[in-house]
Amino acid sequence: MNSKHKSRSRSSRRPARRALGAVGAVAALGLTLAGCGEKGSGVKDEGKNKSTTRTGTKVLWVGDSIAGAEAPALGAALKAGGVEFKDSSSDGGGTIVDSGEKITRMISGDTWKQLTKNIDSFRPTVIAYQVTTYDWGSKDKQRAAYEKLVGTAKDAGAEVVFVPSPPIKIDGFYKQHEAQMRTAPEVAAEVARKSGGTAAFFDASQVWGTDASAGKAQRASDGIHNCQQGAAAFAKWFTGKLGEREGFTPASVDTWAQKSWTGDERYSKLRCAA
Amino acid sequence: MPSRLPLPAPARGSTAPARHRAARSGGAGRAHVAALDGLRGFAVAAVLLFHAGQLRGGFLGVDLFFVLSGFLITGLLLGEASGRGRIALAAFWGRRARRLLPALCCVVVVTVAATWAWGSTDQLRFALDDMPWVGAQTVNWHYITEQIGYWNSSDTRVFAHLWSIGVEWQFYLVWPLVVAVAARGRCGERIVASLAGAGALVSLALTVSLGAAVDTTRAYEGTDTRGGALLLGAFVATAPVRNLARRVPRRAADLVCLALGCGLAVAWTVTEGEKAPLLFQGGLFLHSVTAAVLIVLMAQVPGTWAARVAGSRLPRGLGELSYSLYLWHWPVYLLLLPRLSALGDWGGIVVAIGVSVVAAAVTKRFVEDPVRFRAGWARGRRGLIAVVTVALAGAVLWAAVPEPVPGAGTVDVEQLR
Repeated sequence: MNSKHKSRSRSSRRPARRALGAVGAVAALGLTLAGCGEKGSGVKDEGKNKSTTRTGTKVLWVGDSIAGAEAPALGAALKAGGVEFKDSSSDGGGTIVDSGEKITRMISGDTWKQLTKNIDSFRPTVIAYQVTTYDWGSKDKQRAAYEKLVGTAKDAGAEVVFVPSPPIKIDGFYKQHEAQMRTAPEVAAEVARKSGGTAAFFDASQVWGTDASAGKAQRASDGIHNCQQGAAAFAKWFTGKLGEREGFTPASVDTWAQKSWTGDERYSKLRCAA
Repeated sequence: MPSRLPLPAPARGSTAPARHRAARSGGAGRAHVAALDGLRGFAVAAVLLFHAGQLRGGFLGVDLFFVLSGFLITGLLLGEASGRGRIALAAFWGRRARRLLPALCCVVVVTVAATWAWGSTDQLRFALDDMPWVGAQTVNWHYITEQIGYWNSSDTRVFAHLWSIGVEWQFYLVWPLVVAVAARGRCGERIVASLAGAGALVSLALTVSLGAAVDTTRAYEGTDTRGGALLLGAFVATAPVRNLARRVPRRAADLVCLALGCGLAVAWTVTEGEKAPLLFQGGLFLHSVTAAVLIVLMAQVPGTWAARVAGSRLPRGLGELSYSLYLWHWPVYLLLLPRLSALGDWGGIVVAIGVSVVAAAVTKRFVEDPVRFRAGWARGRRGLIAVVTVALAGAVLWAAVPEPVPGAGTVDVEQLR
């Protein structure tokens, strides 16, 4: 290697190091900012309001992402009424029914695992399960899963509340499972009836109706989830029904309906009006 | 508009003037850089049309970008290893930074300011949320945790397309280290070929496994899953494959290239979006293999018909603009298209693409090229100061833009009574 080559090599390395330094600076800056937390994610938790009186009721909320879009309002409403709440809904399935298909076997396995963990850590008095759009399979499969949930809750000293899924737009993906999605709430209601009081079925068609395209269904632009107003309507209805069953007085909508839960990120993802 | 953004990333600095293109022994064929630039032009055109809702399978253009990047980068690394006996990693990463960061910083800063001025509350919220991850070149993993595909929420994210830039950067950090170690010794290129081939197969297995999920963002934007395309590009850049390709007679190469080119065009036309059946069960991999074979034939067999077409003026010109064009087009679409509804579908699209092309040309002329070709202000300490200043401007903007208050006024309490 001659001296000319060495000198060229050295001089070309210096800007490279500087450029590397710049990369490092940009990456470090990015990581630092990322570490600062997501800007705009500082949604306050109304449940930390110490002025509410505890009712002794603890609700574990289980379901799919449709239940997830209801959860922010439901949590705010229940906590305002002194009910403890944990959202265990899943963005991506959330079903407890193993229909025999690979996808629901995977999802239901995860859901049951999560449910067991939550029962151990949260010790709910009520497990509220909103029937999911993945509760496929035969009636027997659906019944087996729902009965297993009731048995699991009973062993844990909790009750079960089944809630049917709201009406949703049936696209190509759901079309092939439409019939099974229709039987799922019927089976859940039947299991609740035969549970000897351990489980109840709250018919959410009182809030949503049965037609996904009707205004009453309050679907977001995707035709599947709800926005803030729908979530608030559901939360008011559900807390009323649960209050009757569990013997607590729901909080007035004035105390929770317009609080910071309305800024939950999932409503932005759903392009709900801001 | 399509739900999730497949986004491509830039390949290596291949658009340098002729004097910057001295042939190097062992690297991928320099004489065919124009044709490969042209392929990038086709790829970026496909992505632009896909995002405009006009080409259902156009997202596969990103896959072509990945294969091209793997091919070109690995060709450069192997050329350096065989020519100098070692790879100067710091210099390599420095060149990558000069190629990719300046335009990215400018687009991000201008986009945040534009979103603040003209975007929706949701778009501004997510722009501020995503910006640090873009800066850290890890935004693809951020979107995976956000399940951006599940929510079909790309049109609320002005940086949704930058996931592919993150994938490329992460590949550029790891793969040169592998090549630097593996390429040593007499059988270096064979070892690199074996590692790239094996890695691509592992990536395929991961894609199949992770693609069988309700939310496919993990399979679609993961570095490990999409790295398969980069590795296939790397595989065909190694000497054993290049030598094999070189032995193909031109007439046969013409026929094979025609078939492969038609295959890509058909895939881009008929694939029904990123949720098409079989996409994660080998479809993406097959597309990458097709692209890789086409690229190596175009690069190694002189004078193919395909290379002449790809190297013609329009695709090559688009290819030279492809990086900045890719960076600009998505925020331009999101912020501008809703305001162009009076022009009709195609009228709005033409204007939005036109604005993106102009923004890309300006960025290339005044940012990309000066930095790459070491213009006075972009050299040495001044260059470093310039990059850090832009990055700091981005950080200041991030901190200074008022946090939007989403959700206010969305619930009418009277309706609840």
